[in-house]
Amino acid sequence: MSMSATSSAPAFQPMTVVWIAGIVLAALIPWFTGSVFHFHIAIMVCISAMATGGLAVIAWVGQLSLAHAAFAGIGAYTSVLLVTRLDVPVLLGLPAGALVAGAVAFIIGAPLLRLRGVYFVLITFALNELFRLIMLDIPEFSGGSSGIAGIPKISLFGVTLSNYQSVYPFALFCLALVMGLLVLIRRGQLGRRFAAVEENLALAESSGIPTAKTQTIAFTIGSAIAGFSGAFLAHYVGFISPETFGFQLSVSYVIMLVTGGRLALWGPLVGALFLTPLPEFLRGAVEYQHVIYGVVLIAVLRFLPRGLAGLPRQLSRKGGRG
Amino acid sequence: MKRNSILAAASVFALISGGAMAQETLKIGALVTMSGAGASWGNGMKRAAEMAAEDVNETGGLDVGGTKYMVEVIAYDDSYKANEAVTAANRLVFEDKVKYIIGTVGSAPILAIQPITEENGVITMTLGFTAQALTADKPYTFRPNPTTAEVAQPQIDWIVKTQGVKTVGALFPKDETGEAIAKDLAGAYEKAGATLAATEFFERDRVDFIPLLTRIIAQGVDAIELDGNSPVTAGQIVQQARDLGFEGVILRTGGPATQEIVNVAGEAATEGMFVHSAFDPGVESAKAYEDRYVATYNEPMNGFSPFFYDGTKMLFQAMQDAGTVEDTEAVKAALEGISDYGGILGTMNWTGEDRYGIAHQLDSPFYIARVTGGQEEIVARCTSAGCE
Amino acid sequence: MSFLIAQSLINGVILGTLYLLMAIGFTLAFGVMRIVNFAHGEFYMVGAFCALIGVTWLGLPFPVTLALTIAVAILLGALVERVVFRPFRNDELSGMIASLGLAMILQHGALILFGPDPQAFPALVSGVFKWGALIVPKSRALALGVGIVILLIFYIFLMHTRHGRALRAIVQDQEVAAVFGVRLEIMYPLGLGLGVALAAVAGGLMAPLFGVSPFIGATPLLKAFIVVILGGLGSIPGAALAAILLGLIESFTSSFVSASAADIVTFALVIVVLLVRPAGLLGRAEA
Repeated sequence: MSMSATSSAPAFQPMTVVWIAGIVLAALIPWFTGSVFHFHIAIMVCISAMATGGLAVIAWVGQLSLAHAAFAGIGAYTSVLLVTRLDVPVLLGLPAGALVAGAVAFIIGAPLLRLRGVYFVLITFALNELFRLIMLDIPEFSGGSSGIAGIPKISLFGVTLSNYQSVYPFALFCLALVMGLLVLIRRGQLGRRFAAVEENLALAESSGIPTAKTQTIAFTIGSAIAGFSGAFLAHYVGFISPETFGFQLSVSYVIMLVTGGRLALWGPLVGALFLTPLPEFLRGAVEYQHVIYGVVLIAVLRFLPRGLAGLPRQLSRKGGRG
Repeated sequence: MKRNSILAAASVFALISGGAMAQETLKIGALVTMSGAGASWGNGMKRAAEMAAEDVNETGGLDVGGTKYMVEVIAYDDSYKANEAVTAANRLVFEDKVKYIIGTVGSAPILAIQPITEENGVITMTLGFTAQALTADKPYTFRPNPTTAEVAQPQIDWIVKTQGVKTVGALFPKDETGEAIAKDLAGAYEKAGATLAATEFFERDRVDFIPLLTRIIAQGVDAIELDGNSPVTAGQIVQQARDLGFEGVILRTGGPATQEIVNVAGEAATEGMFVHSAFDPGVESAKAYEDRYVATYNEPMNGFSPFFYDGTKMLFQAMQDAGTVEDTEAVKAALEGISDYGGILGTMNWTGEDRYGIAHQLDSPFYIARVTGGQEEIVARCTSAGCE
Repeated sequence: MSFLIAQSLINGVILGTLYLLMAIGFTLAFGVMRIVNFAHGEFYMVGAFCALIGVTWLGLPFPVTLALTIAVAILLGALVERVVFRPFRNDELSGMIASLGLAMILQHGALILFGPDPQAFPALVSGVFKWGALIVPKSRALALGVGIVILLIFYIFLMHTRHGRALRAIVQDQEVAAVFGVRLEIMYPLGLGLGVALAAVAGGLMAPLFGVSPFIGATPLLKAFIVVILGGLGSIPGAALAAILLGLIESFTSSFVSASAADIVTFALVIVVLLVRPAGLLGRAEA
């Protein structure tokens, strides 16, 4: 993992423009086709992209979290409980979910982040399992294994977003907020600190960067974003259970991140855009779909270490040499 | 330019789906679990719908109001997950424009898709055991298979009476089905004059039950109840209980799974086990269905499959009675109106008004069988009134 | 009560030995190749299917089947090392993510080939050994016995053969080992092959006890994970200690509290150990 070229953004400004144009175009597809189902898929892309964006922030300090689904779950349960038990409006429930997920991440972050590399992966893996097991054991809050059904839909200032066409603009807006936050972090001083920590922890430490604090900040922000996406998912799908936020979901976020590009700014978006619709090709024969997922993942790791988002640069470089 | 083509590839997917609507085609969705541990049930349901469709297609199509419809089954996988089920349901309802869905297998998936199907008037036939699946405000959901709530009491009465069982131990998976069944069974044993004395809940993918069984057996139970467990798990419990030297009665008061249990535990361990059976091979139509299933798919028949074959057939009849395939409200009313339906398993009627507040639960004859040499041998015939 | 304690003790030791077989291959692959192999459980599943094919389809005796399973698994492991893992040798995270992909391919490949239904595996022995109130099923005693024999053979290989010493040298320090003429080109495939073979042989041994289906790999993987975290990644003695410990914890908590308590206790313990001693009970501290 190295990110030598990532901070030299101005040199690649045209590339960024093309990316943005492509993504905007992709975002417009449901309106072109008018299909309700395409709106649904587009909303799912937005939710996945937000969650994966959170994972990316954590990856920027060199850590890979397998507890990301658990933080999405914390956000989801927070918002759902606030909305259903205390009649809090959904519009406040969503940020509350982010807040609680972020707070939990902040509290447990410090001891957790002393671990690095595979050790961090392992402990977050264990945490995700622990979250699921504990939620199953407190049915009075989590609904136990039966989950919670009939979760209120998202409503803005008293107007319920009852159909997909009206949810989608709001999903796009939320995604834009998350991506905007990512851009701000990346371009700001915090982003440079993240990059320094990712590249060489010891060097960053000795050059006066508070590495522990930096990592905790990244973990907190990333997990808060996960919490937000989880809350969004809960109110959109209308059903959650502890199983919703199991290990598999964490893995699927990792796959999206890696496929999109672990360290690229647009990686999470590209990964979600590519992988969320992919199952629809094979909805009738999903065992093949998983095999294809596996092959894609290994092939991307092997041949596109920067992910799909890094593909244009990789190609242009090869082209330049040839 | 390459980058654009990637984006295009990533998004064009969406444009491909759908396809031309052939004339006089009736599309039915099969939203079932085809990957993961629930796949045995999912395949059984999907194939039931396919065979029912094949039946009407062979005769030139389903005749509804003078128009012949060729039936096409569109099968999507939900991997037993609520989120996946919602996506698949959206695709079926809005993209494929189906009005009828056979599915889902799981309880969580059916609860998750009901907001979509009920709002759009899509009739669903689910296997999900949760009591919440059938309620008065969900008029488009039907359940063609009996659940523990329907079959437990008469069978337990019979077992308690004839086998002299006083205390029963049971292991349940820690999921929605397990919890619901545990509650139903505890009540049923209480009523029958016995007690469900020792219960244990475990994580679904657990394979070692020896410690739990040690504890249950140490409490001196007369019988071990397997209901609520997946076929594989039930098989492992039987094998490990017998390994531990348990000599009491083993019984399963719900969920057809005998063949799988025997496969896992072996003939010796399952000898003398009492099982719930919905399937009497003495009934010719039932045997014929099993033979056809095995011949077509070259796999043993899943026990729930016949219910969904009958369920799909009843759905077809309801369309014919209503004279429409488009107006699902009329079809729903016609389906509710079917009584004494001559299904392959016997005579079927709708029930459940008392229990669920809506009569969308199919009531069919069932049996208590004793496993001998790995085969079911029927020892009592039951209705919801009792067994003898 | 004392009966329950003794019975739990026996159950726990049997369980622990079975976990050890899984964990030791996992920890070996990590020690040698620095790969956290999420596909390890799927090799257990592959081994179980190999045993099933050998015993029921080809009608071979069980010992021959086990030997064939080991041979197939070593080849498969070496192949996987070359095709999947080799490019990620110096990149622990990428290797680990690749193993996630490999796990998906193997599990769903098996689903396509064999279908989702559990397959019947004929019981090899039946009945129980009894000492007073204490009971040990013969099938478990057999798995335990064979398992111990395999572990002993493996131990002798590791301690007293040239290749075994070379493997241990790599686990200690890769660069130094290379300087002293250990050929990594051979040792990597061998290390992963042996790790895979241990998982596969565990699958073959457990098949008569726990059944065979494409989905049986998840639980053993989880157990191997826990054992290896507790014992320290790459530490074989640590794995041995932790496996027995885990077996006992599960057995006692399940017998005296409840099954879900057993799971929560285990995961809480994992987290405490990782926080207090990230290198595990007997692992070496990471640089």
